[in-house]
Amino acid sequence: MSMSRFKVNNLECIRRDNILFQGLNIDLEDGGLLQVDGVNGSGKSSLLQMCCGLIQASEGEISWNGEDIVNCRYQFQSDISYFGHSNGVKAGLTARENMTVMHALAGTSSSIDYSSILERIGLTGMEDVLSSRMSAGQKRRLGLARLFMSQAKLWLLDEPFNALDKHGKAVIERIIVQHCSAGGMAIFATHQTMEIAGYPLQHIHLGNEE
Amino acid sequence: MSEYLNIFFVILRRDLILAFRNKGEFVNPLMFFVIVIVLFPLAFGSDSTLLKQLTSGIIWVTALLATCLSLETIFRSDFEDGSIEQFTLSRYPLTLLVTAKILAHWITFGLPLIAISLFTSVVLSLPNQTIIALCITLVLGTPVLSLIGAITVALTIGLRGGMLLSLLILPLTMPVLIFSMLAIQNATVGQPISAEIYFLGGILVLAITLAPITTAAAIRIRLS
Repeated sequence: MSMSRFKVNNLECIRRDNILFQGLNIDLEDGGLLQVDGVNGSGKSSLLQMCCGLIQASEGEISWNGEDIVNCRYQFQSDISYFGHSNGVKAGLTARENMTVMHALAGTSSSIDYSSILERIGLTGMEDVLSSRMSAGQKRRLGLARLFMSQAKLWLLDEPFNALDKHGKAVIERIIVQHCSAGGMAIFATHQTMEIAGYPLQHIHLGNEE
Repeated sequence: MSEYLNIFFVILRRDLILAFRNKGEFVNPLMFFVIVIVLFPLAFGSDSTLLKQLTSGIIWVTALLATCLSLETIFRSDFEDGSIEQFTLSRYPLTLLVTAKILAHWITFGLPLIAISLFTSVVLSLPNQTIIALCITLVLGTPVLSLIGAITVALTIGLRGGMLLSLLILPLTMPVLIFSMLAIQNATVGQPISAEIYFLGGILVLAITLAPITTAAAIRIRLS
């Protein structure tokens, strides 16, 4: 795999006439893991949405392998996996059907054993259960199943541990570290403490220091 | 190429499954369509000649109104549960995914609507050439309704404006209504209808070409 680089330069975010952050820089290379934290409303989600190109920054550049992400949208989008506040799980579909859609969207051509993924995220034997019958935490886990199918280099995760219990959190922490050790990159926003022993973690704090 | 076909059919299948699991969403507008059509014979008396002249027009106007009702749900749940973000950020063009969704809408709304119209016009014993013209115009016209509707839905999503949606869709679909009614009137008096059909075909091709691109752009705007 060739080396990749995700760079954010002098980024500014203005929401409802308030400057949320200014002059923000990020530089991630293969294996880079970055945690964004800050109080509610400090712009964590906005930052992640800017990083994946969903919203436009009022100022600053975001580049992928040296090219502005606006100019290489499809190349960039096939290299990232974004997991937002919403799970992207359809209530009217079963776990298996949801995973079929995720799999197709991820564009992985190899066949994937859905049952083993469900086992890993703690939803053993729930292939044919409608997502509308799952609890909030189970839906969140199902949404995170897309990470197991993704070939993406850069993961952008917004509050991935929301609604997850301790075990769920540990599973996701483990897969993030695995991904980064294998040369991937991840940026995630959370105000929870990460229990990642022995992996170098970069940190960005948004909002006032108080 | 096959990769793109694959994702197209996955999304199409997904939307069809969802429609059939959530029957109310696609059956209710069709019920509305049937009931409104039935109201007219009740109001005018079932054997009036006036009604015979009006039936195809009634079917078309009611189809427009029912489209407004049925379109409301096409993107709503996808916005609420974050699916649309995943579509937007996937490695595939959003235009392609949106096209699959619009096709799914037409299959669950346009096709049954054509079948019901055919049935109603036979029951109301319209002349054969009128029925044929009505069918041709509906086959060419209903996809245009789904396509144009998708743009306006994407623009108004999250604005809680069912009424706003109708106000946007109805003026935009007027050309379809005008050419369809011209074709049906000509057919009824035994005139050729090819000119109107070509126009409708042209509008359909234009809508298929441009509407998915516009819808995708509208979705990106709504997300930002």
